[in-house]
Amino acid sequence: MTALVRYQLALLLRAQRWLPPLLLYVAALGVGVQVGRPVLDSLGFAAAVLLPVAAWLVRVCVTGEPEAARHCAAAALGPGRTHLAGVLAALTASAVLGAAGTGVVALVSDAHATDGSTPVPLGPAVGAGLLAALACALSGTAVGVLCNRPLVHGTGWAVSATVSAVTLALVAAGSPANAAVGGLVTASREGSVPAPWLPLALSAGAAALAAAVACALSSRRR
Amino acid sequence: MRLRGVGKRHRPGGPWVLRGVDAELPEAAVLRAEGANGSGKSTLLRLLAGIDAPSAGRITGRPRPTAYVPERFPATLPFTAAGYLTHQARTRGLRRGAAERAAGEWLERLGAGGHARTPMAELSKGGGQKVAVAQALLAAPRLLVLDEAWTGLDVAARAELDRAVAERVADGATVVYVDHDPRRLAGFVHTLLRVAGTEVAAVPGPARDGAAPAAPGAGTAGRVAVTVTGPPGATWPPVPPGASAPEAGPDGALRLTVPAAHSDALLRALLAARPPWHVRAVEPLPVPDPAAGADPAGGARP
Repeated sequence: MTALVRYQLALLLRAQRWLPPLLLYVAALGVGVQVGRPVLDSLGFAAAVLLPVAAWLVRVCVTGEPEAARHCAAAALGPGRTHLAGVLAALTASAVLGAAGTGVVALVSDAHATDGSTPVPLGPAVGAGLLAALACALSGTAVGVLCNRPLVHGTGWAVSATVSAVTLALVAAGSPANAAVGGLVTASREGSVPAPWLPLALSAGAAALAAAVACALSSRRR
Repeated sequence: MRLRGVGKRHRPGGPWVLRGVDAELPEAAVLRAEGANGSGKSTLLRLLAGIDAPSAGRITGRPRPTAYVPERFPATLPFTAAGYLTHQARTRGLRRGAAERAAGEWLERLGAGGHARTPMAELSKGGGQKVAVAQALLAAPRLLVLDEAWTGLDVAARAELDRAVAERVADGATVVYVDHDPRRLAGFVHTLLRVAGTEVAAVPGPARDGAAPAAPGAGTAGRVAVTVTGPPGATWPPVPPGASAPEAGPDGALRLTVPAAHSDALLRALLAARPPWHVRAVEPLPVPDPAAGADPAGGARP
C-alpha cells in the first residue's frame, strides 16, 4: 500500500496537476490573511480554505491516471486498493499544504485575541490551527471522494456537486469542518485556545466512510 | 478459477453485456476468448482480471498475482519507461533493487532496453505497448490477461511475448487472451471462450483434443527435441504448451519435442524442478514439409 501511495504521489507531483489547487490555496490565503491580524481568526480562515483545495486534490488524484494504466494497477492490486491509494495521496498532499499554510499564517499573524489586547499563546494556537486544518482536509477529502469517480461521473456533475458539498460542509451547522473553523473564530473573540479534537475525529470518520463506499464501488462502476 | 452464473451490466437496470457465464479456467493452460467486435470479449477479460466486479454470479479461486495488458497504453504518464515500471514493480511487492532490475530486464527482453530512460510521452505506440507488456510480467503472474496485447508490437517483441506466455504456462499460470490474429498461440489453446450475444460457450481447444498444433511455435518454424534423464523419483514438471508427450529412450532417457519458441521455457522448467532434471541433448528438428502437413512429433501435451 505504501508503494501504491508513493506511485500516486509521484503521478500527482510529476503531472503538475497539483498546481491549480495550490494556486487557489495561495491566492485565497493571500487575499484573506493579513499581516498583524489576530492569529486564531486567520488560522480559522486558512483551515476553511483548505477544504475546497482538499476536495480538488482528490479529484486530481482519482481522475489523473489514464484508464488503461488504472486497469493494469487494478488487476494487480484490486480496484479498491488502487482507488484508496489515490485518495490517500490526495489527503497527504492536503495535509502538507495545510501544515505549511498554518505555519505561514502563524508567522505573519498577531498573537492576540480579536480585541487586540488579550495575548494568545502561539504554540497552542498553532496546535489548534493544525487540528482544524487537518479536520478541514479530511472533510474536503470526504467531499472529493463522494463527488468524483466512481460515484459521480462527468466533469460538469462532479464540479457542481463538489462546489455544493464544499459550501454545505463549510456553512451547515453540525458539519465538523464548520465546527472546527467556528471554534477558532469564537475562541479568538473570547481570548481562549480551542482543541478541535471532536471535529477532527468526526471528519476522519466521514472521510473513512466515504472512502469505504467509493472503494467498494470502484469495481462495480467506472 | 471458476465462473458461476457470472453476468455484467455497466449500470443497474441497463442491458446485460454478459449473462449466466459458467466456465472453469484450469491452471497451466492457455484460454482464448473470441467473438465479434463489441461482443463483450473485453468485458469478459476485465471481469477475469478482477478490474470489474460481476453484476451477478461469482468468480472464485482467482490465481494471484494477476496481471492485465490493455490493447492501448497511454503515453500521458509522466514517467520514464523504467521509472513507471519500477513504481509498478514496487507496488507488487518487489524491493527497490529488485524492482529496478526487473524493469530493466523486461524492457531489454522486449527490445526496448534503449528506451528505459525515455519519457513515456516520447515513446512510439509500440514502445508504449512494450511497457504495458513488461508491467504485466514484472511479478510472475499466476493469471495473465491479455487484451490484444500483441497489437502494435514489432515481430521480435511479439515472439518474446509468445515465449513469455509459454514460460508463465510452464510455471503453472493461467493465460487468457484475445487477439485478432487467428494464428496467435493457435495449437496451445486449452479452451476457447466463444462470446456471442450475452453468452460465453467454453469449447475445448486444439491443445486438449490431441490434434497437432495448427501452427507449431506460433510463428517460429520448427521444433526442438530435448533429451533428459531424471533423478530417481523425479516428477515431471509442468511443460510449455505444445510440448509432445515424453518418450522413453534407451538407458532411461526421455525424449520430447517442443516448438522452438518454447524450448527455453521447457529447459527452465526442467532445470528448475526439485530435484532438477539433467539435460543431455537439445537438437533442432528439420522443419516438416508444409505440403505433407503432418507434425511428426504430434502436439499432445503429456
